[in-house]
Amino acid sequence: MEWSLTQAEPDIPVVDTALDEHLRRNLVMTNLEDMLAWGRKNSIWPFNFGLSCCYVEMATSLTSRFDLARFGSEVIRATPRQADMIVISGTCFLKMAPVVQRLYEQLLEPKWVISMGSCANSGGMYDIYSVVQGVDKFLPVDVYVPGCPPRPDAFLQGLMLLQDAVGKERRPLSWVVDDQGVYKAAKTSQRDLRNESRIQATELRKPDHV
Amino acid sequence: MSVAEEQVVSNEFALKLDQQFPGASLFVQQTVDEIATIWIERSRLREIIRFVKNSGFEMLFDLCGVDERMREHRDGLPAADFTIVYHFLSFREGTELRLKVGVSGEDANVPSIHDIYPNANWYEREAWDMFGVTFTNHPSLYRILLPSTWEGHALRKDHPARATEMEPFRMDFERQDKEQEALRFKPEEWGLTRRDENTEFMFLNLGPNHPSVHGVFRIVLQLDGEVIVDAVPEIGYHHRGAEKMGERQTWHTYIPYTDRIDYLGGVMNNLPYIMSVEKMAGIEVPDRAKVIRIMMAELFRISSHLVFYGTFAQDVGQMSPVFYMFSDRERLLRIVEAITGGRMHPAWFRIGGVAQDLPNGWDGMVRDFLDWMPKRLKQYENMAMKNSILRQRTHGVGVYTKDEALDWGVTGPGLRATGMDFDWRRDKPYGGYDQFDFEVPVYQNGDSFDRARVRVDEITQSLRIIEQCLNNMPAGPYKAVHPQTTPPPKERTMFDIETLIHHFLNVSWGPVIPAGECSVTIEATKGANMYYLTSDGGGSSYRTRIRTPSFPHLQQIPLISRGLLIPDLIAILASIDFVMADVDR
Repeated sequence: MEWSLTQAEPDIPVVDTALDEHLRRNLVMTNLEDMLAWGRKNSIWPFNFGLSCCYVEMATSLTSRFDLARFGSEVIRATPRQADMIVISGTCFLKMAPVVQRLYEQLLEPKWVISMGSCANSGGMYDIYSVVQGVDKFLPVDVYVPGCPPRPDAFLQGLMLLQDAVGKERRPLSWVVDDQGVYKAAKTSQRDLRNESRIQATELRKPDHV
Repeated sequence: MSVAEEQVVSNEFALKLDQQFPGASLFVQQTVDEIATIWIERSRLREIIRFVKNSGFEMLFDLCGVDERMREHRDGLPAADFTIVYHFLSFREGTELRLKVGVSGEDANVPSIHDIYPNANWYEREAWDMFGVTFTNHPSLYRILLPSTWEGHALRKDHPARATEMEPFRMDFERQDKEQEALRFKPEEWGLTRRDENTEFMFLNLGPNHPSVHGVFRIVLQLDGEVIVDAVPEIGYHHRGAEKMGERQTWHTYIPYTDRIDYLGGVMNNLPYIMSVEKMAGIEVPDRAKVIRIMMAELFRISSHLVFYGTFAQDVGQMSPVFYMFSDRERLLRIVEAITGGRMHPAWFRIGGVAQDLPNGWDGMVRDFLDWMPKRLKQYENMAMKNSILRQRTHGVGVYTKDEALDWGVTGPGLRATGMDFDWRRDKPYGGYDQFDFEVPVYQNGDSFDRARVRVDEITQSLRIIEQCLNNMPAGPYKAVHPQTTPPPKERTMFDIETLIHHFLNVSWGPVIPAGECSVTIEATKGANMYYLTSDGGGSSYRTRIRTPSFPHLQQIPLISRGLLIPDLIAILASIDFVMADVDR
């Protein structure tokens, strides 16, 4: 079988000027880094972890109709040491917070966090004594997916946004080679990006017929 | 039993108590739900409860506390700062009984009854955790819902409700270490020994993060090799303070919180809460609303049982069936979304009816689903239930007898698998179920396979009920015309000042429900779900007690898994069908 490697993205999207200079300095490494970023983004293995109701929608997104596997998240791992991404799906309870923290620490770099659902984003409708008001109080979050619970499609969109962000990330090739910084893409709000097109909608469907 | 008969029973039982315990001070309280409610004194508590058990009340259905210190409408009730409420159930006669004991703040302790009704163990721990009432002679009075490092008792009226009223959350190394140390299991606290004469036991932690424990649930296993010598379940990792939230939300805005108690049950969870509020307000729901509610509730029962079916097969090793069940569930959720607008948490029932009328075309969708399901169920029967490996893994595993089930507070399919022929829908009908024709599957062995069997058969019966709803949907209003119906029907608002005032108050302040107490129990997806609401005549509930089915089910796990292997425990956990939000609320 004949196969060849071609770059997925011949035009490297430049994220900011510092990154730009960094890229220009090291052209050979750049192509390799692109390939690695492409590989990383298309094979994000999620961690089989769920706290609450959002986990049911996350599990639904793994099943046939929504099929997370198409996006490269084929292998869902039960142990954090073999996973790339943890999805905090559900309310982060005070009693569970140290456990989540330990699981996050057990994930090996590179690792990403998707905060799924209102409870994980900000405590949601549970402004109550036993709930942490948002998992970002103690974990760095890459993508926030709103919803209560977010539809599986919304979760898939969140995953795709994460993949875009990971595709733009540049990480050192090894601990001996290259600059040891991790350059991440800026987090943009989808609401700001899409507001213009969404505001054009003038006809809303009435709920009195299916 | 009719209303009048229940009241006679109430006085009848008080008479019996008076005869048996002369000189004991008794006070009969009238409640909206006409369940016999008798206040007794603490000094005679244990003997009275023993008498209750011998009088045919086989199950301690619920045990909860109430903080009475801020209650205004007490109307001659005995003085109490804290009340412990005991709710008993007699399956033989179909009657319920409530006993209440009042204690003062300085002397807040009550004798434990865990030796009379074994399932009182966890309920008493919960009352201690939430109210600070101690139970003398309780074997392990530790916190159950909140971390052991917590200070204060959450459901007391002086404990802050909001996280924003307390210190902001910070997780630094010290806190992390302290919390992890508090989570460390100490066998001596639970009466377990670290070794016996031959072996040293291994203590294995299963959870709270584990794919097989179905949520954030922790069991610590005392193992001799792979054989489970004993197990200690630990809950509280999913405590969302739903009961405290009830005191802060209005009667109407609390409905979404009920959805999330049993997160697979969706709109079925709204039903006992709404029916309890409606009973207190005196609202009579129109027939169309009743049938719509039953149809939606049964759709969610099927949805929950499909998830059970898939995960049950998955836990004993079959990887494929869950995908089929979930795609059927998608078809079901399409109907739910078309009618209610939401998938898992529609929060669609309202005080007085439902949120909107059914959309045009709903009957076609439901008909298609009803045509599609039976052959799929047949396929699953061949794929899962007839599979010899599944049978070997579940026959005779996790067996308990009917008496043990009653002792431990098991309800729902777990009880019907032991031979108890009782279903709230048929035997204590609510919300219109008495008009429907369906069977109640009952099996005899009480093992994991029979529990699964009951649920699988219930799916077919639910399809039958939905078909009857489809064929006989009454025309008419979808909401009652009553001042406390929330939100009130808009059409009448613009015609006279009376309805305008009610509409305005209802939409801004929310309904004001007259003072009283009411509990309604339904046959929810997991078992018997009861909402015991206390109103103080305000816009929000004074006390929202949620008796969930999965709480006692988990308490029973050590009993049925001693001497079995770990894979058997996994099959047992799958067969119990619990949801952690249902346990911890």
